[in-house]
Amino acid sequence: MSDPAWLSYSLQDFLMFGPEVFLRLFARINQDLWPWQLLVVPLSLIVPWMAGRPEIVWRRLALVIVAAAWILSGGGFLVNYFGEINWPAVWIGWAFTVQGGLLAALAVTRGCPRLSIGRTGWFAAFWLAAVVLLPWLTVVQSGEPTTLALFGLSPGVTVAASVLLVGGFGRATFWLLLPVPITWVLFSTATYWALQTQWLLLLPLATLASLVAGVWLSPRPVQSPGPQSAHHGPVRR
Amino acid sequence: MAKHLTRRQLLVGAGLSGLALHAPGLFAMHGNTQLPAPIRRAVPSTGERLPAIGMGTWITFNVGSDPYLIEQRTKVLKTFFDHGGSVVDCSPMYGSSADVLGRSLDALGARDQLFAATKIWTGDESATREQAESSRRKWGVERFDLLQVHNLLGWQGHLETLKAMKAAGEVRYLGITTSHGRRHGEFARIMETQPLDFVQLTYNVLDREAEARLLPLAQERGIAVIVNRPFQGGSLFRRFQSEPLPAWAGEAGVSTWAEFFLKFIVAHPAVTCAIPATSSVEHMQENMAAMYGELPDEQQRQRMVAYVRSL
Ligand SMILES: NC(=O)c1ccc[n+]([C@@H]2O[C@H](COP(=O)([O-])OP(=O)(O)OC[C@H]3O[C@@H](n4cnc5c(N)ncnc54)[C@H](OP(=O)(O)O)[C@@H]3O)[C@@H](O)[C@H]2O)c1
Repeated sequence: MSDPAWLSYSLQDFLMFGPEVFLRLFARINQDLWPWQLLVVPLSLIVPWMAGRPEIVWRRLALVIVAAAWILSGGGFLVNYFGEINWPAVWIGWAFTVQGGLLAALAVTRGCPRLSIGRTGWFAAFWLAAVVLLPWLTVVQSGEPTTLALFGLSPGVTVAASVLLVGGFGRATFWLLLPVPITWVLFSTATYWALQTQWLLLLPLATLASLVAGVWLSPRPVQSPGPQSAHHGPVRR
Repeated sequence: MAKHLTRRQLLVGAGLSGLALHAPGLFAMHGNTQLPAPIRRAVPSTGERLPAIGMGTWITFNVGSDPYLIEQRTKVLKTFFDHGGSVVDCSPMYGSSADVLGRSLDALGARDQLFAATKIWTGDESATREQAESSRRKWGVERFDLLQVHNLLGWQGHLETLKAMKAAGEVRYLGITTSHGRRHGEFARIMETQPLDFVQLTYNVLDREAEARLLPLAQERGIAVIVNRPFQGGSLFRRFQSEPLPAWAGEAGVSTWAEFFLKFIVAHPAVTCAIPATSSVEHMQENMAAMYGELPDEQQRQRMVAYVRSL
């Protein structure tokens, strides 16, 4: 690897598949998993409601859904579909399943982090925008409705939506949960850039925006009690 | 391969009727009574004559287990064989390409037409045989015609094993590859010192670095040359396709940009074959047309270089 010849490689030189083949992966997973989408879509839509409930059981369930989405999109899309044409995707797929395992453990031990009171509506809006609008980017890119990239089946939408929750965890957990989404953002940006699938570049961008939004949505410890905090004081983490 | 020439000629005949529809000028030149002879080049170490246009599989055949795309690529491979093609190049580096090739070859039952060329691509110099065997199973061939050390990775160890495999009849030819003009100095030293049958390198109308040393050396040492990236990974089309061909193109045997790029390459006396890759049947037809008709002479080749430079 110290060979200076490596300097002459461009991003395109590492790309081992074409855009048509990549976009068909979404059509294939949709076809192969049908009719499980009828369960996956409603589950993805009720996450904000569950996450906003005060009862811990609902917040556990919300996180279980998110954990399952990571495991499914990692072990399914990345390992079994994308991995066939791009071997690094297999490693990332396994990292997704580990992340899913971590989230499942957090679901059992803590449940979904509580949202900042007054911002649950924002959370729902961001979440629904991610799981309802982002899946269409692959459709716009390919011109094929069958390539809809659903939350839980496709990694891009799964990561973009679920990082909204990452900011709500305590600092140590936050840092623990960050590397896989960031790796995915870098990997997918490089892939979409090399494939020249411009619409798909909005996915990693949305993920970064979602990460920032997640931090904003999370309750912060109060330093100085003010008039607002009397009514809308943050919930302790 | 040689024992199956008759069957191949038949298939070429069938395929050329398609080519005639696609490139009628070609057949007017040769008349319809006789099949035009494809351009073939001899492998210096044996004299075996190979069709001058082969097929690469980087990116284009890496379609995983997608049945629709496998069927589509099978049509591309069928078009290649129908037009007289034989040399197919792959590598363990190309993802699922070898598996897809194997499935396409199964579907076509066309292994007797094939000159099977793949590569050894592993830093583990003791894994040559193991990797060749894994590729052989994927392709479903009895043995490879050509095994090449990919990008010189672990070349010392791999070449020693390949020599032993060739002596034992486990492979017919051995070689080394490079691309994008990389490591030409070391490549030349290996050509000078090792008993190679083939080298594979990048050469096209825009990337002519190989003309300086490697191509003359191949001629001098009697080494066959496979040319990769004949379209510079497709960028030659993106750059020049919207431009007109020069008015004198017909005199050089050229009627499309694909022919322009490919005939420029195969007209070089050191070149044995070029291996363009495509995922499209139409492009394959266009590319295979370059294996028929006139070739540019040296003066015309110089005009070709000057013309693309002027664009
Ligand atoms: N180090 C090495 O050993 C090494 C390195 C590089 C390459 N190689 C070998 O050499 C082969 C060829 O190189 P390559 O695949 O990198 O690049 P290439 O053959 O120069 O270009 C392939 C590109 O050209 C396009 N194309 C082909 N025919 C066309 C036509 N008639 N009209 C318009 N576009 C056309 C293809 O797109 P469509 O699919 O749309 O037709 C594809 O994108 C490889 O497949 C591989 O087998 C070996």
